[in-house]
Amino acid sequence: MSTRSRSERRLGWLLCAPAVGAMLLVCAYPVLYALWLSLHRYDLRFPEQQTFVGLANYLSVLSSPVWWQSLINTLIITIGSVSVELVLGLALALLMHRALFGRRTLRASVLVPYGMITVVAALAWKFAFDPTTGFVNALLDLDQAWLTQRGSAFFVIIFTEIWKTTPFVALLLLAGLTLVPQELLQAARVDGAGVVQRFWRVTLPLMKPAILVALLFRTLDAFRIFDTVFVQTRGAQDTESVSLVGYNTLIVRLNLGLGSTVSVLIFLCVVLIAILFVKGFGTSFTRSGERG
Amino acid sequence: MTTRRRVCGVSAARRALVALVPVLVLACGEPQSPTQPTLNWYVFDEPSGAFEAAARRCSELSEGRFEIRLTALPSDADQQREQLVRRLAAKDADIDIIGMDVIWTAEFAEAGWVLPWRGEPARQATQNRIAATTASATYKGQLWAAPFTTNTQLLWYRTDRVKTPPATWSEMIDMAEALGRQGTIQAQGERYEGLTVFFTSLLASAGGSVLDSLGAQPSLEAAATRAALQIMRRLATSQASAPALSTAREDHARLAFEAGDSSFMLNYTYVWPSARQNAPEVAANMGWARWPAVLDGMPSRVTLGGINLGIGAWSRHPELAFQAAACIASADNQRLAAARGGLPPTMASLYDEPEVRTTFPFADVLRATLRDAVQRPQTPFYSDISLAVSRTLHPMRAIDPDKDLARLRERVARALRSEGLL
Amino acid sequence: MERLFWRAGTLIVIGYALLPVAWILSLSLKPAAELNEQRFFPRTLSLEHYRAIFTDSQFPAALWNSLGIALLATLLAVSLAMFAAYAIVRLEFAGKRWILAGALSIAMFPPIAVIGPLFNLWRTTGLFDTWAGLILPYMTFTLPLAIWTLSAFFRDIPWDLDRAARVDGASAWQALRYVIVPLAAPGVFTTAILVFIFAWNDFLFASALTSTNNARTVPAAIAFFTGSSRFELPTGSIAAASVVVTIPIIIMVLVFQRRIVTGLTAGAVKG
Repeated sequence: MSTRSRSERRLGWLLCAPAVGAMLLVCAYPVLYALWLSLHRYDLRFPEQQTFVGLANYLSVLSSPVWWQSLINTLIITIGSVSVELVLGLALALLMHRALFGRRTLRASVLVPYGMITVVAALAWKFAFDPTTGFVNALLDLDQAWLTQRGSAFFVIIFTEIWKTTPFVALLLLAGLTLVPQELLQAARVDGAGVVQRFWRVTLPLMKPAILVALLFRTLDAFRIFDTVFVQTRGAQDTESVSLVGYNTLIVRLNLGLGSTVSVLIFLCVVLIAILFVKGFGTSFTRSGERG
Repeated sequence: MTTRRRVCGVSAARRALVALVPVLVLACGEPQSPTQPTLNWYVFDEPSGAFEAAARRCSELSEGRFEIRLTALPSDADQQREQLVRRLAAKDADIDIIGMDVIWTAEFAEAGWVLPWRGEPARQATQNRIAATTASATYKGQLWAAPFTTNTQLLWYRTDRVKTPPATWSEMIDMAEALGRQGTIQAQGERYEGLTVFFTSLLASAGGSVLDSLGAQPSLEAAATRAALQIMRRLATSQASAPALSTAREDHARLAFEAGDSSFMLNYTYVWPSARQNAPEVAANMGWARWPAVLDGMPSRVTLGGINLGIGAWSRHPELAFQAAACIASADNQRLAAARGGLPPTMASLYDEPEVRTTFPFADVLRATLRDAVQRPQTPFYSDISLAVSRTLHPMRAIDPDKDLARLRERVARALRSEGLL
Repeated sequence: MERLFWRAGTLIVIGYALLPVAWILSLSLKPAAELNEQRFFPRTLSLEHYRAIFTDSQFPAALWNSLGIALLATLLAVSLAMFAAYAIVRLEFAGKRWILAGALSIAMFPPIAVIGPLFNLWRTTGLFDTWAGLILPYMTFTLPLAIWTLSAFFRDIPWDLDRAARVDGASAWQALRYVIVPLAAPGVFTTAILVFIFAWNDFLFASALTSTNNARTVPAAIAFFTGSSRFELPTGSIAAASVVVTIPIIIMVLVFQRRIVTGLTAGAVKG
């Protein structure tokens, strides 16, 4: 028995080794390298100078209004999009659950936003809201230059994000919906509960794990937003997200030291969000809710 | 049984790999003909085709020694730089000749991304050039690029509404306000390089400078900076300011002026051929003058723009690239760029030639402006400084001369230390 | 009455999903002169933008890059994940949970955190602007998705059928090929689709780690499309390119929609 379990263990590790190796090499190593870079002053415009500066970069970033503003921007986008997505996604999930006809077409069309390239979706909506080429202004009889003002630019970005990811949220919630036992709903109906009451008192509480999973993953995804903001405003009008600040510092300004600091801070924020979620919603997680 | 199968599997895979390797090598390599190397010239996509023609001409003149191939970069200078620096930092050997914006000289030189010009090619590259253009290609006493074309801003105005062009900014704004609705002044106020150009020109015209003579500390003399900031604020809050000033770039200003309701415009020389073609009624009443001064009696100093030709540090054929670049920047091609593309030449003598003077009827004003032109801060940190300036001063109507003086000093100092997010 | 309500809802949802697609289709078919009219539908149809993007070398190269890189990344990710998922599901070994947890944390990772180091690493090792330079990060960042999805599918496979077949006289290879593979194939296929969509879709890595037609993929190419003239917006070309890359996705989604939905929700339901 023990030799069998030993060889099983060896085989197990052998089979996992390539995958683990790839994840360590391309993920863990760069993260450690980023940490190391963040402690140095390293600007590719001065390739010879690489000096250890300790936490000076962190001081610089954390005292920079650009960082805090972008953090606020990111939170605006995250909260704005995730809250609406949850509500719309729930509605969509209910629709898909009850759809008696056209289920196939419904499912296929709902997957189109998911499969569409984010850059393409962002450009499509950018053109739609453009005052000269777009149809939105003509439709609503407005003369708004959407992407040239901060408030309306946020609206367009959040709108695009909602459009693109609501279907994904809907699918996650649909999976949770299917877990609600029909008998409970029948019993509630027999007891005289109306549609709305059944929803609030029976369906929703039982869907809590699915909702929390969807919430967690969508929040983390929204926090990392990059494509849409890059394509639509490039961060102009004070709409820069934290990922965009990182990109600008690393790839445009080639300041690897400062940029790595931003990257590490973003990583810490993501970890913080994850921890807050797990702590805040505790046990509902351990039972179920892994994303496929 | 399983062991044999596993061994067979492994050796089969190995055989396949061995067979694939030469295919991969052939597929990945890009063969270059040993007899005629191709030199890649990376420059923005010049719409009139003058650069294409220059490249072809120089390829022919080389009598088979090389062929110059143009690779187009985006028309936006920031995007050009973004694409170039990433590849240069990655030691791209495909980049032979670079159409460098004047503001990149210090940065590229310091980072070791371009090769210095020495000896005979350097002599050819600086021959007969306007001093300011050579200065724009020089860093730490060394020549890093060959001046090719240049550019600077003039004051354009409506001769049917304005008798004599204003000499100073205050005069111009007063005149514009007096003209009422048709007195709009078109300028550039978006949060981009153009705003830094505007500020730097005003500052230099007031006798100040952004950095000290060593380029190590911010200068930003109080009186001169305040004067510059006050003019910017006055312009942005005046009745005569263009409504979309805070999002206007050169092209927006040009289009608005061509639409007819403006009387003044600060813009580059390309607006002249454009107006002649797109808005002849406006062009018929279009006059030009030197950029308005800030202080009475002290002529204005405007920043210099233009394209210099640098040689990529990892080019496979540096000697040929120097020859090719020197040819492209020669007099014939400068005439071509002027005639077809409306790009002012860097050779002083060309401004006396009748053909050039027909293309640029304002040749004398242009030459005088170029003589007094001011360089934007020549430091490897320029892109950061530019961002610091444009972010502090946008939007112009919100400028507070005292607070912004302090902000500018602080942010430029941080940019010089490569500190701070931008 | 209720049926009408649900039917209307379905139609609204279909419209919601396909509106931008119809919009870029219409933009791509508008001749350049009509682009600045604010109409939704074009007045005259023109294929000039499609001609434009295929005569310029940038877009065909980007298509080729995207296809090749996404396929290779998918192949690698699914292969590695297959072995790992099999081990996780069928074998008992210490650290199993750590691998799953590690994979989950990578899934939650902000990619921006590795962009800088990868850029520096790639530029010093010469992997900048190459296929391998993109395949490696794509493979790594889709491994969590692949491992989780495959684990969920593999958990449902009755592995003992394999033993039953061996008892019946089949060799190990035959049992694998005729019993296990058909059972595992749907899961592997679904995982491959999800991984492919991720690689096809990515923009951040593509824009940071490439710079020329050598390896630039479609999202990066579209985002950096320059207009033919200095003052002209390349709206038409962008729209045409967008349509070309979206149509295959739509077809794929139509054909495989049941699989994709199952794959996406596999973890959530069976987790």
